[in-house]
Amino acid sequence: MRTDRRSRLMTWLFLAPTMIGVGIFVVVPIVGSLLLAFFRWDIITSPRFVGLANFTELATDRTVGISFLNTAVFVAVAVLAQLCIAMLLAVLVQSKMPSWMRVFFRSTFFFPLVLSAASVSILMKYLFNESYGVINWALSLVGIPAVPWLTSPQWAMVVVIAVYVWQNFGFSFLLFVGGLSAIPGDVYEAGAIDGATGWRRFRHLTLPLVSPTVLVASVMAIITALQVFDQPYVLTRGGPGDSTRTVVMVIYESAFRQLEFGRASAIGLVLMLLIMLVTAAQFRLARRFVFYQ
Amino acid sequence: MVDRSTLTRRALLGAAGAAGVAGTVAAWPRLTGADIPGRGEDALTILILGTAQDAAGRQVIADAFMEEHPDIAVRIQSVQATDWGDFFAKILTMVASGTQPDIVYTATEGAQLFAERLALPLDDYLQRDAEEIRDYFEDVHPSLIEAFMYKGSLYQLPLDFNAANMYLNLDVLERNGLEMPGEDWSRDDFSELLRGMQGDATPYYWTNRLFGGIVPWLYVNDTSFLTEEKARGGEQFWSTFYPGEERSGGYLWTGSNATAEPVHESFEYLRSLVADGLAVRPEEGGGNTLVGLFASGRIGTTPAGGYWVQGLAEGGMRPEQYDVQFFPRWRSQRHQFGAAGYAVMKTTRKADQAWEWIKYTASKEAMQLAFPTPSTTPTRRSMVNDALYAGVGPEHWSRFYDTLDRFPTSGPIPAPPQQAAVETALIRNVSTALSGGAAGVERSLQNLDRDLRAVFAEEDS
Repeated sequence: MRTDRRSRLMTWLFLAPTMIGVGIFVVVPIVGSLLLAFFRWDIITSPRFVGLANFTELATDRTVGISFLNTAVFVAVAVLAQLCIAMLLAVLVQSKMPSWMRVFFRSTFFFPLVLSAASVSILMKYLFNESYGVINWALSLVGIPAVPWLTSPQWAMVVVIAVYVWQNFGFSFLLFVGGLSAIPGDVYEAGAIDGATGWRRFRHLTLPLVSPTVLVASVMAIITALQVFDQPYVLTRGGPGDSTRTVVMVIYESAFRQLEFGRASAIGLVLMLLIMLVTAAQFRLARRFVFYQ
Repeated sequence: MVDRSTLTRRALLGAAGAAGVAGTVAAWPRLTGADIPGRGEDALTILILGTAQDAAGRQVIADAFMEEHPDIAVRIQSVQATDWGDFFAKILTMVASGTQPDIVYTATEGAQLFAERLALPLDDYLQRDAEEIRDYFEDVHPSLIEAFMYKGSLYQLPLDFNAANMYLNLDVLERNGLEMPGEDWSRDDFSELLRGMQGDATPYYWTNRLFGGIVPWLYVNDTSFLTEEKARGGEQFWSTFYPGEERSGGYLWTGSNATAEPVHESFEYLRSLVADGLAVRPEEGGGNTLVGLFASGRIGTTPAGGYWVQGLAEGGMRPEQYDVQFFPRWRSQRHQFGAAGYAVMKTTRKADQAWEWIKYTASKEAMQLAFPTPSTTPTRRSMVNDALYAGVGPEHWSRFYDTLDRFPTSGPIPAPPQQAAVETALIRNVSTALSGGAAGVERSLQNLDRDLRAVFAEEDS
């Protein structure tokens, strides 16, 4: 009996540092944000309780609506591109090649991920400058007129997605390389005997066996993409107009530019619920599409 | 060889606990923020927008002040921010966390936000020390003072300013056989000049923000995107320091004027410049590349203030390679300007000491320490002279200050207390207005009108 109590005490003692950390830095801010969503607060004056007003106003707020739409388009295109490119490159890197070359490609593809998103975006801003950017200069050599990459609503989102994917596919790539390495060689040998080569081998052997990794990669990619901020903020500041304004940008602008902390918290909570819903839907779908050995 | 059996689990836990306590004790100053330089000292804290190097640069003024006032310790603190809006947000965060400064160096963009919520009016001090401060007002143009009046009270003494003038690249003009325009040039002369350099350099490079963007073009067309009014009050101040001057109690921006016909006209003019390849889209402008592009003769014209002279000199541009001109005339030749000065926080417990700082920094001695190079235009007319621009300034550097004399109706950046929301709405809709066809201008101005109405309605509620 005494040993049980002692054991429980030790358990709590070991858990305490993590629980205190999570409590202070995760739970308290979430609860605070939840409460703040029901107030109007501009830092200077005292918070004023407004009930559900911050939420009901979101429904008619054009900027918020556009930002959710932009984020949805961004997530759909960026995540698909990120996963496809990562998978393609992972399969290529895992194919037969000298080991030094494999190490080189693995490092190269992962490298953009360790760079600061803001620094990369500043660099890309120069490259994509309409008048003096290297990209338009290169295009001009083959007779293509200057493209307003960052200043036209049609192109700006394309560039934001391209920069984001370039920087982030390395993480999915690394997961896929791990997943592909875990596939036993004898599976492919058996498949080869049955005539599975090329696309059929990928479709019927590789993809099912790596599907748990695809699930993890897609869940993480979607959660990260739903919170995109750095690239559109540095590249376009959400413009032209609202064409690249994302949900997290609106949260930032509401809180730290317009000092509407209640509104920002309300948008943040809606985004959190959206992320939870999407993730739950992914796990639900996974029951049908993910194959566990 | 250590006998492993002697290290019991209890001893290990004890050692870990002791290490934890020791670590906490050692890190206590960091955990509590007590190691932040100056924290806890009883010093007059002055906050500026900039880097630690900028703060170090102003230390010379602080040292001179402390020599004159040995009983007042001063600490200059810098806050890095991407623009004034970002800076104001950080100040408000400091206020919320109880670490607010006593004095903040702030620009026109935040003048009314500070006056409305954060700053202490200087009226009583000004009346008390009128004789001591009179020489400052005798040297400073009243338009600059009026920009820092709010509802009849003065909140800041502006120390530097910049009017939106037009910089012209003389190398580009010469390459294309063009003449430097005269002071009363018109909008059409400007268009003609741009056409003359098309194909050789980017004719007009500009930016999308409150200063130097669309607003100067609205002002010269005798309009603005906000309804501009003047507050009553301030009579005692004006009669004391500027006798005979007909001035108001400050600017009031009370609502949207975005759908007015002259506003549409100005937007359409700039849209046509972009569409005709005579101007870049405004989102391209600004940034660190501008000096290099202008200095290397790839930009023909761009709007900027006196602050650019030092930057161009450091960028390798010789004074004879460029010149500055007033903004071209349209319906008027009213110019836009922005200024900056110290504001005393109303939360300070050192208001008297803060006023001493304000008085000292407005003295000629302190301003000469603050502005040794033409990296901005000092508000004291007597300091804008040959000595400041010798060897670095353009031929007509005097136009930086003459702008205020020649065009006395020139006005400040339109920045009501809701500046952040107003600027966001403007930037957003300028970019859509200028990125498409003529129909887009109408649509964008309606959107701007709707956004601005929402901003002002929210304030009213």
